[in-house]
Amino acid sequence: MTGKFARFVSLTLVLVLVLSFAASTITAQEGKKVLIDANALGASDVPTLDPSLATDTSSIQVLIETNPGLTRTNEITLVTEPGMATWEVSEDGLVYTFSILPEVPWVKYNPETDAVEQVLDADGNPRYVTAEDFAFGIRRSIGGQLGSYYGGIMAGWVLNGKEVYDGTKPVEELGVKALDTYTLEITATRPAAFLPSIFGMWQAYAQPAWVIEEAGDLWTEPQYFQGYGPYTLKDWVHGESVTLIKNPFWPGTDTIPVATIDEVRLMILDQSASLANFEAGTADISQVPLADLDRIRADATLSEALYIGPSGCTYIYGINTAKPPVDDVRVRRALSMTVNRQALIDNVLKGGQTPAYFFSREDILAAAPKAADYPQYAITEDVEAAKALLQEYLDERGITLEQMEPITLMHNESEGHARIAQAIQQMWAENLGINVTIQTQEWGTYLETIKNNESAPQVFRYGWCLDYTDTHNFLYDVFHSSVRELGISWSDENAQRFDQLVEQAMSETDLQKRTDLYAEAEYLLTNASAAVIPIYFYTSLNMTQPWVTRTYSHFGQQYYEKWDIDMAAKP
Amino acid sequence: MGRYIVRRLLQMFLVLFVVSLLTFATMRAVPGGPFSTEKNLPPRALAQLEAKYNLDEPLYMQYLHYMGDIAIPRLTENRLPPSVLNDYLINIYIPGIDKTLRWMNFGPSYKSVSQTVNSIIKNTLPVSATLGTGALIVAVFIGIPAGIIAALKRNTRWDYAAMSVAIIGVSVPVIISGPILRYVFGVQLKWLPPTGWGSFEHMIMPAFALGFAESARLARLTRASLLQVLNEDYIRTARAKGLHERIVIGVHALKNAMIPVVTTLGPLFAFLATGSFVAELIFGIPGMGKFFVVSITNRDYPVIMGTTLLLATFVILANLFVDLVYVWLDPRIQYS
Repeated sequence: MTGKFARFVSLTLVLVLVLSFAASTITAQEGKKVLIDANALGASDVPTLDPSLATDTSSIQVLIETNPGLTRTNEITLVTEPGMATWEVSEDGLVYTFSILPEVPWVKYNPETDAVEQVLDADGNPRYVTAEDFAFGIRRSIGGQLGSYYGGIMAGWVLNGKEVYDGTKPVEELGVKALDTYTLEITATRPAAFLPSIFGMWQAYAQPAWVIEEAGDLWTEPQYFQGYGPYTLKDWVHGESVTLIKNPFWPGTDTIPVATIDEVRLMILDQSASLANFEAGTADISQVPLADLDRIRADATLSEALYIGPSGCTYIYGINTAKPPVDDVRVRRALSMTVNRQALIDNVLKGGQTPAYFFSREDILAAAPKAADYPQYAITEDVEAAKALLQEYLDERGITLEQMEPITLMHNESEGHARIAQAIQQMWAENLGINVTIQTQEWGTYLETIKNNESAPQVFRYGWCLDYTDTHNFLYDVFHSSVRELGISWSDENAQRFDQLVEQAMSETDLQKRTDLYAEAEYLLTNASAAVIPIYFYTSLNMTQPWVTRTYSHFGQQYYEKWDIDMAAKP
Repeated sequence: MGRYIVRRLLQMFLVLFVVSLLTFATMRAVPGGPFSTEKNLPPRALAQLEAKYNLDEPLYMQYLHYMGDIAIPRLTENRLPPSVLNDYLINIYIPGIDKTLRWMNFGPSYKSVSQTVNSIIKNTLPVSATLGTGALIVAVFIGIPAGIIAALKRNTRWDYAAMSVAIIGVSVPVIISGPILRYVFGVQLKWLPPTGWGSFEHMIMPAFALGFAESARLARLTRASLLQVLNEDYIRTARAKGLHERIVIGVHALKNAMIPVVTTLGPLFAFLATGSFVAELIFGIPGMGKFFVVSITNRDYPVIMGTTLLLATFVILANLFVDLVYVWLDPRIQYS
């Protein structure tokens, strides 16, 4: 063997060794399915992973996967399905008995072994999720004196909840009881069709009392966090990402299957940064910046990846009915009738939104009336009729349009809101000759301004997103006079009738009758009194790489356990 | 010199006290509060949150409480219950009495519920300071040589080229150059990761985007200052002595011309090191700038106070450092 040849052979051998080693590490990498979602969290850090304190979509997105609730809303049909439990309800609709999935262990990610492990109790036995863990979570949310917003929402629905929340009754008197290890009983204050949906919300998730006792308000940090769902928390780099890891101990059910994707990395990124990652192939799911929408639509590959679907929010203008000239319903109706919603969507918003003529999202809420089904109730866009109404008002007061009090339209600082306001300002100027003045305020200041009948301007921008998929959450929770904070000063007979209607609808069990009641309530709010101008229903936009198989949720959160990713197809 | 430094450090505490008072007064004068949202928080919940964070006390008490937690050391048990309310920056175990001396509790964040100002700064300051240092290096290594070349080759093609680049740098802010860099090198060429943090590669684009804008300012300053110095008598003397031109420029002119440049470098580093909101957003960097800006929108009072005080400390220390460098640059300057 010559020297040269020997060197060649040995080099080849080394190369083969290196390559085969590299190949084996590549297969190990490929064996693991990792999804990078740059859409779920947005640009700022997740505020909390405490189910009692969570109020925003990103906190809830993580929790819905790590600590599923008693019930679970189907992301497509929006039907309330069994989550961690199935349930039965007593004949009077007041007592709910939940049978919890037996022997689902609490788990925790161990960074040293890089594996999800079962949590053991002091005797070395696995800790299973029990009825008591759920009862503890509910008691903590309502009676924990934590300032829990959604604890307050739920308090109204659980026996003695309000008193416990306000501290006038001890937490032991709350209508929540663990009958045995896996049976939970919740007694409601009154029957309502949507109670299973409320009892499945995050403030009622099971919580690990032993961790909270040990770690105080730091218990949601990754070194302490424990969950039980299809995924659990692997890491949380504040301001950068949250990583979820598949829980191998999750048994899988019809509604919450065992996950296929091993790891889901939720990136905290600004819209345009998320799209850059998507285009570079370093993100599988991305947000859609409005500025890039035309470019995406024009691009063959990108437009394939674009998805536009419903979201849970409605965009409205509230009207302060105490301030002239909008203290007269004719002026308010004229304003609403001259907003060309479709033109606004086509020319300004461009995101496939739907025009709104009612406040409640007609596409995703239970018992929500569709404006098209109630033409006698919905406000119509009619410039001529609006002009006539305005003229009638002016004639009655004996003034000209110029003598009418000036109108202020206010929105919180945002380029998007500004564009909408300018477009509507122009519509009112062209159609009615009314020149409104636009004012903006920074968010914190703005909230203070519009939540007060004194300071709220004549017209102001507002948005509402659902907490649970029932119309009650829109009409009662925002506009019933007992809970209303929005500065619309609405207190005429229609407002009183509105209160009665939404109260009646709350306990009505017949779906059609409920829908009719809500339709009439919508009529009073958006047409007869025109205290709000519904403008459009938001859409959710996102981009998905072709190698991801997924469901598109119709509300704020995704169920990753139903997704799959083809790592081989990823370039 | 030692006494001078001590005096300056004592002055620093006075300045920080004034900064804290002004910041506190301004942020509490602004309408809106940390717990207002578009939803209706029940009054009971608001009361509970305000009680947790001492916001139900009169304003002057809140301020005293806050400053007390920072300034006054306290002796405590060795193991405190884990809580965002008792996260101290300095914890010294005292063996004799088996207690722990703790100091500097900058308070919890209202918005990031499981975080404290101390933990936010511990997590984000190293990121921002690394990026800031990188940006400063880019700025200095591009800006100063460009300024020198422009001054020495005054009114030549070199000068015009260097100053044109400088004008581009000054007039194209990070909010423009950042996305362009990201698109070209991250999306199209795929040479660098478009966003993220954790490796040297992640740092290249943001450090360049931030540094380039600043380098332009430095270049213009260096050029102007050097041109002025080159007209001084002692430069003529140095040349008349027959010194080599390289020594005239390198030792005599440049050292003196650096004084205004160094003056701007101090505060520049302070601002770069405490985070750039825009660069962090564009390049998805978990730095301090983001928390700083978001805390203002959220009325997250302790985070606003903590980050402002930190920035103020950085500016004061950087200025002190600059003043000390003067002594070396210009022998006529002395502190006693």
